[in-house]
Amino acid sequence: MSTHEPCRYEIRVQGRIDERWTAWLDDMALASEPEGVTVLRGPVADQAALHGLLARLRDIGVPLISVTPGASCGQDDER
Amino acid sequence: MADTLVETKLLLPRVRRDTVARPRLDDLLDRTMDAPVTVVSAPAGFGKTTLLSTRLTAWLAEPVDPGAGGARAAAWVSLTDRDRQPGSFWTYVLHALDRAVPGSASAALALQQTGQAPIESALASVVNELSVHPGEVSLVLDDYHLADGPDIAEGMTFLVEHLPAQLRLTISTRADPALPLARLRARGELVEVRAADLRFTGEEAAAYLNDLHGLDLTADDVAALEARTEGWAAALQLAVLSLRDRADASAFIAGFAGDDRFVVDYLAEEVLGRQPEDVRRFLLNTSVLERLTGALCDAVSPTPDDQSRPGGRAMLDLLERQNLFVVPLDDHRRWYRYHHLFADVLAAHLFQERPEDVPALHARASRWYAGNGHTEDAIRHALAAGDTATASDLVELALPALRRARREHDIVTWITQLPVEVLDRRPVLAVGLIGGLMASNDFATIEARVHDVEQLLTRPASDLVVVDHGELERLPAALEVYRAGLALVGGDPSGTIVHAKNALGLAAPGDDLTAASASGLMGLALWTTGDIGAAHRAYIATADRLTHAGHIADVLGCSLAIADMELTLGRLRDAENTLRRALDLAEKHDAAGVAGPEVMRGTADMLVALSRIAWHRDDLPEVADLLRRADDLGEPSGLPQNPYRWRVAMARLRAAERNWPTALELLDDAQRVYVGDFSPPVHPIHATRARLLLASGDLDGARVWAREHKVGADDELSYLREYEHLTLARLLLAEHRATGDIATLQQATALLERLLDAATAGERDGTVLEVEVLRAAAYRSAGDQEAAETALEHAVELAEPEEWPRFLLDTPGLTELLRALAEQRPASTFLRDLLAGRADQPATAPQSDIRPGAQEPLLDPLSDRELDVLRLLGSELDGPAIARELVVSLNTVRTHTKHIYTKLGVNNRRAAISKAHQLGLLSRSARA
Repeated sequence: MSTHEPCRYEIRVQGRIDERWTAWLDDMALASEPEGVTVLRGPVADQAALHGLLARLRDIGVPLISVTPGASCGQDDER
Repeated sequence: MADTLVETKLLLPRVRRDTVARPRLDDLLDRTMDAPVTVVSAPAGFGKTTLLSTRLTAWLAEPVDPGAGGARAAAWVSLTDRDRQPGSFWTYVLHALDRAVPGSASAALALQQTGQAPIESALASVVNELSVHPGEVSLVLDDYHLADGPDIAEGMTFLVEHLPAQLRLTISTRADPALPLARLRARGELVEVRAADLRFTGEEAAAYLNDLHGLDLTADDVAALEARTEGWAAALQLAVLSLRDRADASAFIAGFAGDDRFVVDYLAEEVLGRQPEDVRRFLLNTSVLERLTGALCDAVSPTPDDQSRPGGRAMLDLLERQNLFVVPLDDHRRWYRYHHLFADVLAAHLFQERPEDVPALHARASRWYAGNGHTEDAIRHALAAGDTATASDLVELALPALRRARREHDIVTWITQLPVEVLDRRPVLAVGLIGGLMASNDFATIEARVHDVEQLLTRPASDLVVVDHGELERLPAALEVYRAGLALVGGDPSGTIVHAKNALGLAAPGDDLTAASASGLMGLALWTTGDIGAAHRAYIATADRLTHAGHIADVLGCSLAIADMELTLGRLRDAENTLRRALDLAEKHDAAGVAGPEVMRGTADMLVALSRIAWHRDDLPEVADLLRRADDLGEPSGLPQNPYRWRVAMARLRAAERNWPTALELLDDAQRVYVGDFSPPVHPIHATRARLLLASGDLDGARVWAREHKVGADDELSYLREYEHLTLARLLLAEHRATGDIATLQQATALLERLLDAATAGERDGTVLEVEVLRAAAYRSAGDQEAAETALEHAVELAEPEEWPRFLLDTPGLTELLRALAEQRPASTFLRDLLAGRADQPATAPQSDIRPGAQEPLLDPLSDRELDVLRLLGSELDGPAIARELVVSLNTVRTHTKHIYTKLGVNNRRAAISKAHQLGLLSRSARA
């Protein structure tokens, strides 16, 4: 078990997603951007959690635009 | 295992009524029906399941060209995330195939059940079977993304690479499968249907909205909807629900088109907003459920006292009628599920509006499932409710039943789902996991785990969490049993015996299972050391305890070992009685219907073992009859080892009839279907084969055997290799007869003397009998008449009271000695019969002229060509290889197979071969 701070991610998807999805999407903060883009921001525990989150987005049919790790994400996040 | 299958996962979903014709896709799908592999890859809600179930239903209904083979069959599996476990995944896939083509996967399922064989060998058996199948099979794996992962991909890759021509594989998934598809794609053998193909075109959208649902929208409105939803089926379906009975359709569509919200979110909100409050509440509450049924919904979302409100069952009916995304899972409208996409939307609403209710909803679901005997679902919901204690209690209380049902794999899966620290306080669970791991041959962590639990048990009772106090009392003895098992696996029989004795001392009175395990392990350890007398006593104790505990199938397994040991101890009569008693026991349980309509597993094994007794008695008609009865009982009545044991027994019969080629083929076949068990392999097939070669006069073949298996006259002797060394002694005697080489004879004699000492010391009278017969032959060859007579007299002393002529019959060069002995003992009917038996079986008899089909002619005999195909069905060749061998097309092979199966009254390859051997159809197979 690693004890370091979880990495923060920024995930951009196509379509404006309502606030209500926050709890379903691991409490990520949802922000609207122009042209119907939604940005999910928040800490993601590890790679498995990231893939789980992406699978949830896939499962509700939201088109994925980009996934960006924050500057604080060290290499020790890799398994 | 069958009782744990979720039947609805294997049902082909019913065709929906509300679909529009999409000829564009039909063309694409026609191609998929000709392609070996199809992947339908698209996000949720694109209509993958609908498309495939519709197409498959139509394919099944199409008239089949009689020249193209036989009937069509569909095998459908709706996968879930639990199928990430290879055990679960393959159980469903193999059951689906076995239902589509009865018998096609029964051998594979038996192999898989042993837990010993790699999945590839189980799959090879299905592939082999389907490669000669007359009809065509379409296997659909729906929602493959839920199961996909490295553990599944291994077997799937094998299947894709060995796909028989008769089997089409279709995978529907939200993410491209992790399978090596590039090669198939390059060869044009892969058809891909992707989101772009599945999107509704403008025309299709118009047909769907206006023709099917009668919305009467303008062309502009349809175009706007099509553009906004991008032809996404689920979105269009939601749009229909939003538009139904709405006067201002165009205004609504304009509002929707001008909004940039996520499509499904927008529409689902609309649809939900239009529902009455009680329906909305029901939808959100039940969104935590994977499957829905009236009573479960009532438990999770209780109807308010108002009697006029519909209950769960009525609500589900309503949802289905209104097309509100419930999918029926069976034909009785008992179980439903929400469409996956809609379920996620509902759950998101629930999470946002009433997050505090979520644990309580799961807790209610857990209680309902527990009360209705669905422990696995109960555990899942308890965990989802965050209630580790309840989940742990459920697992703990389920352990005894799981063990009884031999579901050790589930034990491991369920316990490892719990947070790991649970094991630090719950000794019953910790020991349950140890048992599960042991049964799965996963020994790496056992030692440390046993140590941890032993430490835990020394702590005050207040530190422990225990719900099943009966189980707690068993733990000290159980831990010693596991230590005994670990020692045995580590090759330490004396350590095994020590721990097993400890376990017996600690076992609570009435804890028959723990005591049975302990004495069973002790018996096994003693058996491997050659102390058969003590091993026999331990096994008898084991069988008694198992009988007492009601584990009849295990009593049968035990009886096989006991009878085997009794033969080694020279007690042929006892062996026969043991097996007859076991057979009676099985039949009594069948009559009582304990195992349901099926014959008790292991019954066939008793008959096969009894045929060995009959063979020792030289009662060949009885051997044939027993083997026929065993075969007629069918595969499910046998243990996984029965297919090979049956072939070895049939080979002995054919050898006794001097039909050597058939006997050797049977042994080769036996080797192919060989599956080991716990018993030490004291009669390896290769040594039996060497004896057969010797009997047939193939000295060279027997020499090769001795070289390959490194069996030497100067080897250190051990009980485990006694049968091989006895076989070698036979080889040396045959060598001497052929060459007259004195040194060889001396080697044989020296080996036999050492074998005699070892067998005498171990009180193995059965071995002594065989050795004495061989010694008599050796001394006669050496010209030492007196020693030969003494040895033979000793052999007869052992054989006569047991009426056991086999060794005396099979050993060449004893006729004169026996005749002399018979003259001294005129009252001995045993010797008289023996000499009569030998008279018509000269040692160097030519091949007998047993005619094919002589035993039980078929009403409709097989043609010569069918016999050719039948012979090759008994080989390792698959369908295309058989076609090449006979220089015909695969279709011709399939047509022959169909006729052969019909004429023999069987439905699979293995059964056809058994039947053919039983009827003597394969005799004299080495054609001139």
